[in-house]
Amino acid sequence: MRDTFRGGVHPAEHKELSREQPLRDFLPEGEMVFPLSMHIGKPSKPVVKKGDQVLVGQRLAEADGFVSAHVISSCSGKVKGVEKRLTLMGTMADCVVVDNDRQFTPAADYTVKADVKDLSGDEIISRVQEAGIVGLGGAGFPTHVKLKPKDPAAIRYVIGNGCECEPYLTCNDQLMRTRAEAIVEGMEISLRLFPNAEGVICVERNKPEAIAALKKAASGKAKIAVRELATKYPQGGERSLIRVIAGVDFPLAKLPADVGCIVENVGTLFAIQRAVCYGEPLYSHVLTLTGDAVKNPGNYVVRDGTIFSELLTASGGLKEGVTLKKAMCGGPMMGIAMSSLDVPIQKQNNGLTLLCEDAVEIAEGQMTACLHCGRCTTVCPMGLMPQMMADSITDGDLKRFETKLYGLECIQCGSCTYICPAKRPLMQLFKQTKTQIMARKRAEAGGKK
Amino acid sequence: MNGVMNNPLNISSSPHARDRWTTAFIMRLVILALLPTTIIGCVYNGIHATLVVLFGVVTAVLTEMIFDKLCHKPDTWKDGSAVVTGLMLTLSLSPSVPLYAPVVGSIFAILVVKCAFGGLGKNFVNPALAGRCFLLISFGRAMSTFAVDGVSSATPIAMLMTGRTVNITEMFLGTTSGVIGASIVAMLLGGMFLWALDVIHGEICFSVLGGFTLLMGLFGGQGFDPGFLLAHLCGGGVVMGAFFMATDYTTSPVSKLGQMIYGLLIGALGALFRVKGGTADSFSYSIIIANLIVPLIDHFIIPKPYAYRRSAIRRREGDTRSFVKRLPKPVVVLTVITLIAGVALSGVYAITKDTIEEQKRAANAASYRVVLPEADSFGQDRTIDAAIEDMNGGVYGAGFGRVYINECLPGYDAEGNLVGHVVRVTTADGFDGDITLVVGMKADGVLQGISYTVLNETPGMGMRAGEPEFMSQFEGREVERFTLNKAGASDNAPDAIDAVSGATITSTAVVNAVNAGIDFYHNVVIGGED
Repeated sequence: MRDTFRGGVHPAEHKELSREQPLRDFLPEGEMVFPLSMHIGKPSKPVVKKGDQVLVGQRLAEADGFVSAHVISSCSGKVKGVEKRLTLMGTMADCVVVDNDRQFTPAADYTVKADVKDLSGDEIISRVQEAGIVGLGGAGFPTHVKLKPKDPAAIRYVIGNGCECEPYLTCNDQLMRTRAEAIVEGMEISLRLFPNAEGVICVERNKPEAIAALKKAASGKAKIAVRELATKYPQGGERSLIRVIAGVDFPLAKLPADVGCIVENVGTLFAIQRAVCYGEPLYSHVLTLTGDAVKNPGNYVVRDGTIFSELLTASGGLKEGVTLKKAMCGGPMMGIAMSSLDVPIQKQNNGLTLLCEDAVEIAEGQMTACLHCGRCTTVCPMGLMPQMMADSITDGDLKRFETKLYGLECIQCGSCTYICPAKRPLMQLFKQTKTQIMARKRAEAGGKK
Repeated sequence: MNGVMNNPLNISSSPHARDRWTTAFIMRLVILALLPTTIIGCVYNGIHATLVVLFGVVTAVLTEMIFDKLCHKPDTWKDGSAVVTGLMLTLSLSPSVPLYAPVVGSIFAILVVKCAFGGLGKNFVNPALAGRCFLLISFGRAMSTFAVDGVSSATPIAMLMTGRTVNITEMFLGTTSGVIGASIVAMLLGGMFLWALDVIHGEICFSVLGGFTLLMGLFGGQGFDPGFLLAHLCGGGVVMGAFFMATDYTTSPVSKLGQMIYGLLIGALGALFRVKGGTADSFSYSIIIANLIVPLIDHFIIPKPYAYRRSAIRRREGDTRSFVKRLPKPVVVLTVITLIAGVALSGVYAITKDTIEEQKRAANAASYRVVLPEADSFGQDRTIDAAIEDMNGGVYGAGFGRVYINECLPGYDAEGNLVGHVVRVTTADGFDGDITLVVGMKADGVLQGISYTVLNETPGMGMRAGEPEFMSQFEGREVERFTLNKAGASDNAPDAIDAVSGATITSTAVVNAVNAGIDFYHNVVIGGED
């Protein structure tokens, strides 16, 4: 059976730093900051005001429309107000700020497991929506939207994504090892929405313990399989997974549901199980604190709204005598470079990687002209021609970029930039160009109206 | 955060990781791969060859360094690509070239072909090859003299091209007359090393070798004889071209399909030039020509992204038709037409085969009468036929080039007296393919005349070998072996033949064929009767 997609790269994993560290609950002490936009879609609208007393699991802001998600408090305390605060993207954004009373009093009892056998599909989706669940793989797309495709009967596969192909990150590995039953149950609940689908949980081969745990949990379940995949980036990209499981390639304009697939991160499946069975909203998730600058790398269950720097300090801070050069929310392939650690952890964040060395800075010193070596074309998981695309941009021939080279199909995985021996920032160039073309198209469409 | 914010953090767009391979690292791998060849070449060819390599490499690096300085460019000479160019250029030179050759070649390669067009990644043809061709054109004699320790000898490829046999083992090891980088074993070792590490594209190397072998087998005149093909593969820089020259990133296509087309083109041109051309350096030219076509290939051959390929669309749409039904209609139609045409053609051939043979015999008989008019009829001589059969279709004698004896018949007058013999000879050394002629020998050893049955040379040039002015020179002379006066010479030696001006190759081939006919007459016909 096929165990991977075409192309891809294999960056140094560095997972050994934290892979054996068990998940630990981290209870923050400082004030908590909840951005109103921790998801793809419209920012949510605050439902609390200054001075309100809130409890763990209580709603702070509610979804504005269908493609949006509730914001849930992860602590108990008094609302300080809705203020502009520095967030992950480096901009000031509206956030609900809560003065943490360190009691963590829950709004309801989240430890009792309810019998959910008789729940209808709509009730399941509404519980997921109430819980404010978003895709925990990194993008943060509202899960209830994903679970409601146009034609649920056309879905053939629900793919549980436990690849964790991003270097350094190990929190999902730990989650799968210790919460395998819950993940499988989350998958079972999801499968109830799709009568013709089978569930496939995919894990890269470098996580044998997680695979064993999941296989044990899924044994005897006819509709759920666990698949071992090759260790390769971007194996955990939804298009790569669909390529492997369903054998289908599809253009960027189509959604996974259009080819009969739904892809959910294992963290999301876990959150679905918590929400549906225990009524617990999504206010905490797993996160890996790692990197060669960190004194004690580890895997944590963190609460949304916790300030990154507080977690770092509590863990033991940086190693003595090192200079922090680069901080990334997430891993080095897809992560967001941070200018400050004093920003809140959001729902979909799954790592804080702190490094003493910046590979990008080093690469800039090694940049040469393009050799036309073709490595970028070999690694592109979409089958694009990055080198020709870059040439067409340099030549100012955006028409060739768009129509002949299908430049807009780039999924921005960064494999081409990673592999380029001439150290050319290919993906960054494509990202810029795509934005430009899309803006022009929007302007043209607007002009016609 | 104490201490953290004192140092500003680096911000960049993802990905924030990079592979370890750099341009300089790749160049170092190529240099490493060329090292075995270089060492063997220098050790076998001695100190002068070592100096040639050294001069070439140092000049290449210095040229780029000075260019960078003068033009205020970044120090690109440090990336090692100049070393690769210098090394590849000198490895493709004769070990006995004067030391100015590698210097001039390197300067041309780096300055004109590489730097003037924008440096690394911008050259329009392979710089090393361009340098080599520049030298070939400028210093032809020095470039084509191959001497080791002052003793010069023909290279295996030059011998191959004149129909002689070569020692493949020596070619393989590189212990033979040839360029500095003549060791095939070392080249293959380096090439395989680069291929295994994915530095060079197998699509290119193997389609070059495949295309060359295929065309050499089809048109080389000796079929798919392994010894013959291997000898051609080992000579004339085919291996070096396939693994090191054709695979130059900048001047080869990006797509896999493009790479295969490009490789086949090089192989095909190389074989064509080898069979039809007159120079041993043809492989360099075929790569350069293919280099020039690369922008065209890259412009038109762009593989579609996976999601847009026909197979992907089919799978998305759940098309489960069988392979044959999925084939595009034109393919099916064309295949059927081709098959029908093939069957029809072979049918026509089978029907007309005997007629054609009959006509050929008649044509031959007519030529026999022309060159031996005294004969009334032609018989058959079993001894002679057996002698021809013994040759097994091989080349006749030595020193006549690729000459074959087809037939030799005794001619009798009306009374049944032997008046002489006719010998039909084919030479493969014609400028445009085979020439077949008939030599008429009278019983007293005097050459009566010659006549062509096959002559397809260049009109106005080689074709003039068929004019009486040239042909009549042979008539009525009793000579052991004719020698050729090059055009314009007026040496009136008793055995001299004046060449057709401007058609030395054709004239040589004809004289050789006639000589072979005479030789056969003396040694087999007369000798056989003794």
